[in-house]
Amino acid sequence: MRHRLLLPGLLLGLFATGLIRAEEGTAIPDDAVEFLAEYCIDCHDASTKKGDLDLDLTSIDWSQEESRKLWAKVLKANEEGLMPPAKKDQPTGKEREKIVAWLDSSLIENTPIGGTLPRRLNQAEYEASIRKLLHFPEFKLPMGFPSDTEFHGFNNVGEGLVLSPPHLEAYAKVARDIADQIFPPAKSTPKSRLWKAGPEDMVLSFSAASVQGDALRLASRSVDIMRSCSWPSRIEISDSGTYRISVNASKFLSNEGRPFEEDMILEVYARAVTATDRSKVQDFRLLKEIKVTGEEPRTTAFQGDLYEGETVLFRWKNAEMTHDPPDTAKAFKTLAKENPRFLAAWLKTVFPTGNPKRPVRIAVLRGRNGWDTVSKHMADPNLDLTHASTDSPLAQAFFKLAASKGKTSIADCLCYFYHTKGPAMEIHQLTIEGPSKLVESPADLKRREWQLKITGTPHEGQSKEAFLRDFLSGFLPRTFRKSVTDETVETYLSIAKRHWDAGHTYEEGMHLLFRNILISPRFLYRCLGAGDMDDFDLATRLSYFLTQGPPDETLIDLARRGRLSATRPSKEDPAKMEYWVLRREAERLMPTEFTAPMIQSFVGQWLDTDSLHGIMPDPKFKFDETSIDIAKYETERFFTEILTKNLPMTDFIDPDFTFSSIAFVQRNYGFTPKTSSNKKGKNNAASKRKLQRLKIARGGRYGGLLGQSAILTATANGVDTQPVIRGVWVLENILGIPTPKPPKNVPALTPDTRGTTTPRELLAAHTNESSCSACHQRIDPIGFALENYDPVGRWRNEWPGTKTRIDASGTLPDGTKIENAIELKSWVVDNIDLFSACVLEKLMIYATGRIPNYTETREIEAIVKQNHVTGNGFRSLVLSLIESEVFRTK
Amino acid sequence: MRAKPTSSLPGVSRRHFLRAGAATLALPALEAFSATVGSKPQAKNFVAIGTYLGWHQNAFIPKQTGRNYEMPDTLSPISSFRDEFTVFSGLDHRAPNGHGAWSNFLCGQSPKSYSLDQMIANSIGAKSRFPSIQLTAGAGESDNKKGNAISFTRRGVALPMVQRPSVFYERLFMSKADRARTEYMLRSNRSSLDLVLEDTQRLQKSLPARDRDKLEEYFESLRAVEKRMGHQLETINDPVPRPDYKLPSYDPITPNLQIEAEQIMYDLMVLALETESTQVISFFLHGLGQVFSFDGKALGSGYHGLSHHGNNPAMIRDLVAIETAHIHCLAGFLTQLKERKNPEGKSLLDNTVVLLGTGMGDASRHSNANLPTLVAGGGFKHGSHIAADPSKNDAPLLGDLYITLAQRLGLEVDSFSNASRNMNQLFS
Repeated sequence: MRHRLLLPGLLLGLFATGLIRAEEGTAIPDDAVEFLAEYCIDCHDASTKKGDLDLDLTSIDWSQEESRKLWAKVLKANEEGLMPPAKKDQPTGKEREKIVAWLDSSLIENTPIGGTLPRRLNQAEYEASIRKLLHFPEFKLPMGFPSDTEFHGFNNVGEGLVLSPPHLEAYAKVARDIADQIFPPAKSTPKSRLWKAGPEDMVLSFSAASVQGDALRLASRSVDIMRSCSWPSRIEISDSGTYRISVNASKFLSNEGRPFEEDMILEVYARAVTATDRSKVQDFRLLKEIKVTGEEPRTTAFQGDLYEGETVLFRWKNAEMTHDPPDTAKAFKTLAKENPRFLAAWLKTVFPTGNPKRPVRIAVLRGRNGWDTVSKHMADPNLDLTHASTDSPLAQAFFKLAASKGKTSIADCLCYFYHTKGPAMEIHQLTIEGPSKLVESPADLKRREWQLKITGTPHEGQSKEAFLRDFLSGFLPRTFRKSVTDETVETYLSIAKRHWDAGHTYEEGMHLLFRNILISPRFLYRCLGAGDMDDFDLATRLSYFLTQGPPDETLIDLARRGRLSATRPSKEDPAKMEYWVLRREAERLMPTEFTAPMIQSFVGQWLDTDSLHGIMPDPKFKFDETSIDIAKYETERFFTEILTKNLPMTDFIDPDFTFSSIAFVQRNYGFTPKTSSNKKGKNNAASKRKLQRLKIARGGRYGGLLGQSAILTATANGVDTQPVIRGVWVLENILGIPTPKPPKNVPALTPDTRGTTTPRELLAAHTNESSCSACHQRIDPIGFALENYDPVGRWRNEWPGTKTRIDASGTLPDGTKIENAIELKSWVVDNIDLFSACVLEKLMIYATGRIPNYTETREIEAIVKQNHVTGNGFRSLVLSLIESEVFRTK
Repeated sequence: MRAKPTSSLPGVSRRHFLRAGAATLALPALEAFSATVGSKPQAKNFVAIGTYLGWHQNAFIPKQTGRNYEMPDTLSPISSFRDEFTVFSGLDHRAPNGHGAWSNFLCGQSPKSYSLDQMIANSIGAKSRFPSIQLTAGAGESDNKKGNAISFTRRGVALPMVQRPSVFYERLFMSKADRARTEYMLRSNRSSLDLVLEDTQRLQKSLPARDRDKLEEYFESLRAVEKRMGHQLETINDPVPRPDYKLPSYDPITPNLQIEAEQIMYDLMVLALETESTQVISFFLHGLGQVFSFDGKALGSGYHGLSHHGNNPAMIRDLVAIETAHIHCLAGFLTQLKERKNPEGKSLLDNTVVLLGTGMGDASRHSNANLPTLVAGGGFKHGSHIAADPSKNDAPLLGDLYITLAQRLGLEVDSFSNASRNMNQLFS
């Protein structure tokens, strides 16, 4: 069925490299020689070599891949009746059948299944491997790490995954960074440093502190550091250690403020410079309580441990004022009782009209601003003292206000009374000197725990060498995904040992060892080893296929016991052996969420949705990043649904559901969908934006891969559509028919958006010119069928620019006439095995990292056929692939 | 693409005379051919700068051809260098359209293939501490693994670019402590690698032939890395001047600070060339969506949005403002190169071929035809606008110009990508 679409021009293109030597090889049977001499050799002999194709009739060297590829093309040309050209004598059907049968059996006989090259881990696989092996969930490759090259559309194929010096250098650099994290290099003893901070170096947060003269004053206590504390922000300790901390402080009192007889207690905490201002004091480590006894500044010094990234924080523990509303009100009452002018000034500020029901907006009183107003009134000789007793209704209203929650602005303002009148805590100078010795920070301890998690702990009395040997015999098989010989263990052991012997520390030896393990080809390449695929290789292939990560404990255990490839007679057909453990494990690892790495990676590469964010559609389409996210989600979620629910392959093309938001569907697909639950959804904006399963009618413009916004956007360029690009894309990714690259030096057709000609007129040149037409009569009709979709997938009836009606009709190469995209879709549904084989081939490339050869292509067709008669479910198809010889062969 | 190592062959091959001049150009007068290629290359450094979003053609390409052209808006910041650069138009690589093909700037017709700077570096770069350096500005902190690149190895591997000026500075002028650590790393690695190698060779022997061949890539790379490590070890304690350059306390890496980053990168590029730390630099000017501000005023739209101007005059004005700012940064670079002179009195500019261009001909239409291009320095006779007429059958390709540039740097090459001529007769 795929043949019908292949035409001579395409073959000529493919034939271009067919030059083979035939010194050794198998003789061609006489009747075949007769056939070839009669119909082929006129054009395809050594002298004419039409299409660069020279058929040597003496013998065929089947061991050469090149020659197998060549004769596969001869087979195709006959199977599909593409050659000889129509104007030449044609062989009979019988003759063709005979030559096809001979070539088919010869090719199958001589093309063994398998042949994956050793595959380097690609970026995603490398990241997943490090995360799992080293218990390092946040690991990411650094920006600028050399990207993976694609081969046949995928970035995990052996041929494409070249390893070049820039790669190895980057791997070595990453290995060093990882080793630095696990076994940080010993820090050289830091030089002792002296930091000094004066009031101007302290953080002033809200009204917690203010600078008055040459002192920093603290006025209140609160558990919220941003309300009551201060700290020097230009100090950041770089070496965890013991430091000498000195604070010069004094009491501040004045006649206008209240007395403070007892000692003031200054708390000194250690805090991370980067800690949030929303922290509470109890989040920090209390280093010292200092007694401040008099109004004369005095220096108190003490030893304290400060860790990397920390500074100190000050809090006045026994301040009179707090920021809790009931207590704030109490402070107001006390002050008001002692000082009527204070009360009168507040009342004037808060109730400027004298009406207790109409206070000013309290927020504007916050901090200094409010205090300036209050103190101005206090100093006013004409201040009205009528209501300045605590039991006046106005005063009562004020206290009530101050006691209500959420009025911290009033407290922030009151702080300034203490800042200016006292009592307040004064800090004049801070010095930190050190470290006198280094200490281990919590981060260091965490790192040590992490280290032990990776390497384990030595037994009592175990030498570090014996310990490391134990560790490596468990770690290396997991890291190399293979059983490992003692010899290999000893080799890696000696890396650390020699380094230790040369006088380096335990950590340095381990650092060096890890750096080397992580650039070993045994780690960087998968399935490296002699002979056929073993259970470890099978576990590795299955795991990276379905999870993009290394095999888990269960798989490694099954591999170690050789159980993964266990078989038993199939229930349906006892003559057939089924790989029941492999199938069970595949079911276990099969992705279930659209966010699963396998789905993101496979769908992204197969359907090019991972190119979406680079397209940046022209602003005139109003298709922003959010639209792109929704479009991408639609395709990924759709794929996941078909996979997890084992829906039929035809649903890929013409389904009755999609996943999107009602708003997106209305805007981009131009209709209002029913929700799957069939309930009348609430009609508010939020429910319209909700991503959900939506019902759509089969046989319409939208729905299915060919009508999804993500794919139609990915196959345009954000500005205009190019039928050739979409046509080639559908051939290669939906129908599985590769198209040769256009010849060099043909200038690309740049559509003229000012629009004097329609794309159809522009592309007419293709189909008129005979050298172009062979391919373009296959490409262009499909591309034109999709022209009704604009560059972001919205339906349109006219071409922009020329404003002419879009003619989407065309003739498919098998002669089927179609009018538009809907008819193209129904044609694909009628020929669904073509699509299934295409998807299965992509999955095989993704899973095995190789391009299918002749025998494998036939195998894939057979799996598709078999699956078609048993329900044609997608999940079944994937499982059949995993159980097949194609998957299980190296 | 065939890059032969610089040989001591006197003069230049006959090809120059045979191949040159085949191009039909819409030029009022052709300059006389002067045989300028001698046994000693006339320039020793190569710097390539490319914008992701192209250059708005109407503001970049002069209206007139030849010497007496009127300076276009975008190029106004370098008008005082008029005789130090040449503008080219009508050249391209006949490459496919779309953003995806951007990398054809230095790669020629096939995106993501062996780039001009790498071809040059492989020929002349080995002597320097850094055979080549790749930089970028405006790329943001994105961790997009499929990000754009400007330079590609012979095998099509995209080379990582340095985005933080502080990283570039540290790489060029390592501190003493870093140097000691690096030396320890290199020395310890060297001996341990032998053990890994021993183990791996044991493994390799057991592999089937195909796998063995594939693994050869690994060993080749390992040998190359070892060689580099050796080279690094030999030179690690060479005195490298640590220039007294004041970096800002932060790296301007967010896309909206692109112009700021460019200025610093250019300053550091001058230092890199002056200290002979490298001879080959490529610099990728990205174009993302963030909004730029000039003189405290924000532009109407993000850089990328502006590039899709749809001929809206206000958007074009803002786009040209950004592109002019790029050229303003270039002016600073050219000024510094011109000021720095070697003992023979030759300026660093005369010794440096500066290529500024793009792989995107018209971002508004995602077209990759007619790529605005400018060449400065390198001791060429400058001062003209050279316009090719791409509608002519034998019109020159951008690759033909690249061949001329490569030859100027002493490479014996006669082909690049789809080009196999040169422009020596028009530009020398």
